[in-house]
Amino acid sequence: MTMHDCRDRARMLGSYLDGELEAAKILEIDEHVGECETCREETQLLRAMRGSLKRVVRTAAPAGLRDRIGVAMTAEKVREDARADASQAKDAMMAEALGAKAPLVSLSSWRTMVPLATAAALALMWGAATRGTQGASTEARAGFGDDLLAELVAEHSSPLPLEAKDPDAVRGLERYVGVPLHPLSFERPGLNARLVGARVVPLHAQRAAMLQYVVGTGDDMRRVSVIVYDAQKIQIGTANLSPRAVGTAEVRVGREKGYSVASTQRAGVGYLVAGDLDPDRSAQLAAMAYDDR
Amino acid sequence: MNTSLPEASKPSKDPFSEEALTHLDAMYGVACKLTRNPTDAEDLVQDAFVKAMRARDQFHAGTNLKAWLFRILTNTFINKYRRGGLERSVLDGPDADPLADGWVSASTMRQLRDPEMLALMPIVEGEIQVALDALPAEFRLAVVLCDVEEFSYEEIAQIMGCPIGTVMSRLHRGRKLLQRALYNHALALGIVKGEERVGGEVAEPKESKTANLAEYRARKRGAA
Repeated sequence: MTMHDCRDRARMLGSYLDGELEAAKILEIDEHVGECETCREETQLLRAMRGSLKRVVRTAAPAGLRDRIGVAMTAEKVREDARADASQAKDAMMAEALGAKAPLVSLSSWRTMVPLATAAALALMWGAATRGTQGASTEARAGFGDDLLAELVAEHSSPLPLEAKDPDAVRGLERYVGVPLHPLSFERPGLNARLVGARVVPLHAQRAAMLQYVVGTGDDMRRVSVIVYDAQKIQIGTANLSPRAVGTAEVRVGREKGYSVASTQRAGVGYLVAGDLDPDRSAQLAAMAYDDR
Repeated sequence: MNTSLPEASKPSKDPFSEEALTHLDAMYGVACKLTRNPTDAEDLVQDAFVKAMRARDQFHAGTNLKAWLFRILTNTFINKYRRGGLERSVLDGPDADPLADGWVSASTMRQLRDPEMLALMPIVEGEIQVALDALPAEFRLAVVLCDVEEFSYEEIAQIMGCPIGTVMSRLHRGRKLLQRALYNHALALGIVKGEERVGGEVAEPKESKTANLAEYRARKRGAA
């Protein structure tokens, strides 16, 4: 056998030991290793190194890592389920708004929908509060209120289940939030807003009502939250929102976390609208707080 | 306000995560070799498991979960630590001189694994650890997946996203580099005697990517 042949075979030794050679080649290498001391030693050395590598690399994961990863994986699953619920909730809400039979899943699916409505209501409320005597003091409290705005938009983006689904039940929430609720005042023909339901949302030590609406027709249906709160007790920062007049109403509009928000105040009641309407429609919806009856 | 939090802190009973976590130790061991840092390894493994959870619908039940998890681990490592991909490590890898087969004699190889050497096992294994860490990442990963985790060539090709021929080349070069490191170590300890290179100047086949290594390095350095 020539040196060249041996070297060719030597290159196959790894595959031979890894069990990756076809039967005919295995026999050939078996025979060669029996005759060739160099290849035999190479084989033994490769085996010994493999054993050392196993001892060097194999290690138990540190205590706690398994639990930590288990929790992270579960959290990931919960997030996914919430996302699935959210889209289901949206479908259910749309169906309900259209008068179709809503499936029984709606309670869990509402979880995501309701916060949206809440945030919208809050935006409306805020606009109302800035108008009139409290306008100046609002700016001074903006630092605290900015966080509140983000919190309310978060309520819109991942809503809790609805507690009330018809106008009378929604009005029944008044005693929990301490402000009058007129859920139908936002249902104006021009905007095609339809009430879906409402719930109470905690805001630091206070409470607000989050009203959920579906706005639009046909393929262009948007989930919108209107958060209604006591503007004497809760100040929401609107320093980053631009003031604009809608009819006789003074409304502030802008964006928060990618959502369109509009806020207004009337008679000590704040309204915040949050959703993905365009700014004009958000502002119009907020302005309806003024026409409340 | 967030009703989902209490759920998230419960221990996992999800069948997929339960099964995936049976491979935790293996994933962690390989991650340590990839990152060469236990803290980074923990982060890498956690990222990989969370990604697996997110992508679990893409996993086909009945196929090789372990290989699938290692593929995610490898991709996560590449994305997180080596944006340019694994082959970048040839820039500074120890594979500058081509390796020849048969440059160590049979008697030296016997000495490297004989009882006298085995008595020095902690030193040898320490040296293997050092030599393994010094390998370019793609050689290190191929060797670990094959020799430690005992994946087939085909599985390694899937995990590393390369052809089987490349797997074989990486394994061969990786093992040769480890042998050389071990030999140099034994030589320094006086366990083996220095010898003439039997294999001489015969260069072994190289991966196409590293065929013109000097040129490649010059090009990459120029571009950088």
